[in-house]
Amino acid sequence: MREPAWRIFAAEYNESNHVIESTGEKKPRYVLTPLGAKVNRLFIVGVLTDVEEIGAEGIRRRARVSDPTGMHVVYAEAFEPEVASILADMDVPSYIAVVGKARIYEPEENVLYVSARAEMAKEVDEKTRDHWIMEACRGTLMRINAMKDAMSMNAATSKQLRELGYPPMVAEGVSEALKVYKDVDLEGYEMMVRDAISFITTGKKELRKDYAEEEEKVLEIIAEMQKEEGAIWDEVIQEAERRGMERKVVEEVMVILLEKGQIYEPQLGKIKMV
Amino acid sequence: MEEIEKAVEEILASVKADKDKVMEDLKKFVDYGVPLEQAKEAVMSKYGEVMKEKKLKDIEAGERNICTVGKIIAIDEREVEVRGERRKIYRGLLGDDTAILSFTAWKDFGLNKGDVIRIENASSSEWEGQPRLSLSEWSTVEKVDYDIELIKRAPQKYNLIDLKPGLSNVEVRGKILSMEEREVNIGGEARKVFSGIMADETAKVRFTAWKDFGLKEGDVIRIKNAYVRKWRGAPQIIFDENSTVEKVDEDIVMEERVVPLYKVVEAGGGVDLTIEGTILDVRRDAGIIFRCPHCNRKLRDGVCEEHGEVEGIPDLRIRALVDDGTGAVEVIFNRELSEKLLGKKMEEYMDVAKEAMDYSIVHDEIVDKLFATVVKIKGDSLPSDFIVTIFARDAEVVSIDREGELEEIKMQLEGLQ
Repeated sequence: MREPAWRIFAAEYNESNHVIESTGEKKPRYVLTPLGAKVNRLFIVGVLTDVEEIGAEGIRRRARVSDPTGMHVVYAEAFEPEVASILADMDVPSYIAVVGKARIYEPEENVLYVSARAEMAKEVDEKTRDHWIMEACRGTLMRINAMKDAMSMNAATSKQLRELGYPPMVAEGVSEALKVYKDVDLEGYEMMVRDAISFITTGKKELRKDYAEEEEKVLEIIAEMQKEEGAIWDEVIQEAERRGMERKVVEEVMVILLEKGQIYEPQLGKIKMV
Repeated sequence: MEEIEKAVEEILASVKADKDKVMEDLKKFVDYGVPLEQAKEAVMSKYGEVMKEKKLKDIEAGERNICTVGKIIAIDEREVEVRGERRKIYRGLLGDDTAILSFTAWKDFGLNKGDVIRIENASSSEWEGQPRLSLSEWSTVEKVDYDIELIKRAPQKYNLIDLKPGLSNVEVRGKILSMEEREVNIGGEARKVFSGIMADETAKVRFTAWKDFGLKEGDVIRIKNAYVRKWRGAPQIIFDENSTVEKVDEDIVMEERVVPLYKVVEAGGGVDLTIEGTILDVRRDAGIIFRCPHCNRKLRDGVCEEHGEVEGIPDLRIRALVDDGTGAVEVIFNRELSEKLLGKKMEEYMDVAKEAMDYSIVHDEIVDKLFATVVKIKGDSLPSDFIVTIFARDAEVVSIDREGELEEIKMQLEGLQ
């Protein structure tokens, strides 16, 4: 059987401290999360914030992918050079989708680090990221509900949970998690889901493309055009357009430069370098 | 010593013999350095002629030298390839008053449905979590001239979506959507068989009736004591003279329902399924392939295995992994559906490939376009060994109803106490 890919928030995944070793032919290992996700494979969509080379050969990569709850750590190993090069070529920040296997590192007893070993990764758009957040919310809510049902049935077995209509993986994981995790903070996870939802509906931070090159160009233009009292806003835009930039981009870049404090407005409609 | 006593008990559980004699024989072997397991077998085969019959419910997976009596409830033959050789094997269900087990006969014992047989020297293995009897070259099977009672269990009611191959004594309710009649020859006797598709609110499933129940298309029926087998990678419900079929005076309204993939995986497939999931992998062989103009086979390096070197006809197809977080299946899209999903014609990809002088570029473009895309698919499962494979009959990229989904999640949040 191909292991399904769990859509799971970083905060829940990273708080896992139990591993299930199964007995089947291929002996898959599962990370058991506090809410009972039994994770062998994950699907993560978030913002790529950081890619670093690791190991001597420099082929392996470690990346960080941010979701509304925390950071997923993603490894691209040397035997999957394609994924490693995809990560290396991607801009930071940008939206990324990763399919990976649960990676488990246990340096000593009772210390467990979980991450993902990427099988496939690709840049995606914001819509895909939003959809992923909603899928992760739904999965988390289902497990919270299963946890509550199981607790009210006085530690239900996986069979009982299946009879309530939960998928087999959830039923197994939840009954297992109840045994090994003490005092799971269900309210905390509920809050996490609420926050994730408000992240997409309201106060989300717009992901900004990296305009380093464009910023450079605009600064150049301003330097050329500014006199004592500064360059005229509209003329800078016209000049930039003449040099092949899109009006929308120039305007956005000027706002960024203003925010960064690299330029300022000595008077309305005029700009000057700091 | 304790081990030897245990072994003696085990031997006596399956053969009729004198305890002291068995102990004596066993010790003799062990004294000669024969490992205990082998010694046990040797003693068992010595007394094996008078084997004790086991009830079916007492048979566990992994036993050998099993002796039992049961009635054949169902049997069918199939061809398999064993070490490069085509062989006929027989699969079926065997019942007594304690249980019903599935069995496989690796040779033709001349078995027919309804026969009561005494089996010696069978073994058992595990299948779908249940023990399954295996009748081999070395097993003896003889028909007995008495009848036996079959276990009476209350039939278990199932929705069609929950049917899994291997279930028996099931009760289902459904509407017959289509049916055809054919004649098959069983043991020199012509019999009418009725096959078709039936449906309830949850799914469609193929059925076969081994008896003329006077059914017609449009009937809504309740079937008791049916069983489920695998047919072309999907569950099939089978009923016969042991089953009861009654017409029910109600209608069944089918609505299109997206089936969670774990259910599809559990059932091993299905008919006319609607599924939804994210494309998480595009198989290496997706893209432009060339087919033989005579037989439509896929060419390898311009060569057809049947017709040799031919002028290939290009075709576009995608094999992709679709995952909804609960399960994963493989889906095959033909040219028409591939073009629909990609929003590009095959000819355009041909041009791209010719320009790059490399057809693998098409695969890369498909990955680029489809990875992490949510798709909705209608289709039927194909027989496959490793992963449930669906042949798509329709497919579309799902446009996410963002507001609707948000609303639903918020409602769920409100529902938590």
